[in-house]
Amino acid sequence: MKMTNIYEGSYQWIMFGRDENKPDNIIDTNQYMVRTAKRSLLIDPGGVELFSPMLAAVLHYAPADQITDLFASHQDPDIISSLGLWDQALPKAKLHASDLWEGFIKHFGCESIEYVPINDNGGTINLDEVELQIIPAHYMHSSANFNIYDPQAKILMSGDVGAALEEPDSPIFVENFDLHIEKMRFFHQRWMPSNHAKKVWIDRVRELDIDILAPQHGRMFKGDDVNRFLDWFETLQVGTAV
Amino acid sequence: MCKGKTKSQFVAVASIAAELNAVMDVAKEISLAAANAKAIAFRAGEKAKGFQPITDFINELAKETIELVTDVNEHAIELYQLTVNNYRTTNVYTQLKLVENLSQDAVFISSIEQPLLKAQIKMDKCKRDFKMNITQLLDQLAEVMHPARAARVIAANSRIEASQAGEYLQSLQAVAESVDNAAQIIHDNVQRCRSALSVVEQTD
Repeated sequence: MKMTNIYEGSYQWIMFGRDENKPDNIIDTNQYMVRTAKRSLLIDPGGVELFSPMLAAVLHYAPADQITDLFASHQDPDIISSLGLWDQALPKAKLHASDLWEGFIKHFGCESIEYVPINDNGGTINLDEVELQIIPAHYMHSSANFNIYDPQAKILMSGDVGAALEEPDSPIFVENFDLHIEKMRFFHQRWMPSNHAKKVWIDRVRELDIDILAPQHGRMFKGDDVNRFLDWFETLQVGTAV
Repeated sequence: MCKGKTKSQFVAVASIAAELNAVMDVAKEISLAAANAKAIAFRAGEKAKGFQPITDFINELAKETIELVTDVNEHAIELYQLTVNNYRTTNVYTQLKLVENLSQDAVFISSIEQPLLKAQIKMDKCKRDFKMNITQLLDQLAEVMHPARAARVIAANSRIEASQAGEYLQSLQAVAESVDNAAQIIHDNVQRCRSALSVVEQTD
């Protein structure tokens, strides 16, 4: 599992991904961690197949008892099917996820972890001195979907928005946006269901000051590539299967 | 616990539930046969006098079987839950052991000791509960065999009594036959349950 610091201030953002031991038949995913002095948030901690390499990697940054918060952008298995294992490994932790998905996500096993339901308007997650914003991203692609925005680090963890299907050993940042487009096109056209929801999301995200747009699959966007992505996405017709 | 073992455990526990369901159906059939026999014996009057108490016995045996199977069923559901728990706790322990191996050079590796210990305690308790449940279930299944054996003896007596029932001979013999068949089916099904349980016991 590769570990990359993507923000270093009074706290850290770490990206985990490109696991070389990942089984070939499951999609590659990016996991993120926000590490403060005494607490840690795992954003989209991943599927059940990824639990061991993920926890092993996390232990380079934080002890198990300081992994205090998990966040699931939506209910998909590649996002949170590892929940049942985190549930037994973490002595005290909360899972922040949509109130709509509570009864569904709990199927993965949620005995000791406290489920903190997020209503449709979003909210905040406070980690020591850091306040992270939970941004609604409904229908992007899941019907109840959220992103995490850190106004201090200027990072938007955008879930499946900005995702690309590519080789597991690909670089972690987009290097040539034009060449990257074809890796994203099908994913967005097929997985994103609504042009209206897309417009609402883009309008909302354009209000944010973003240095890094960090999706759950593929490469991250930084600097001008963030706006390039928003411009490209704005013109893309989605929901193409019907 | 390897995947093959887990799979055979789940299959074995599911097959026990299916066999018990069949036993329940057959026990209900015996109960119906007893009611039927009682009606025939009543119509036959004096000719089937010896048969009348037998019908009560048959009914009692059916009731006893239904009660026993209801208990066994509850136990089997518990066994299913324990199989799931056994799988889950073993999986958690295995995964945490893997984390321990993968994170040898991690700064915070020692923080995994507590969760690992907790997982091991949970897994061990689960395995103990699981084994205890299997033993209890095997005992209960042995009990279900008793009325089934008794029913076969009663079926033999019924045939003798039926032979003296004149024109009701055929009807009463049919009743004795169906009780005998049902008892045989119960016996076979329960035996299959016990074999399935042995598989579970060995794979754990």
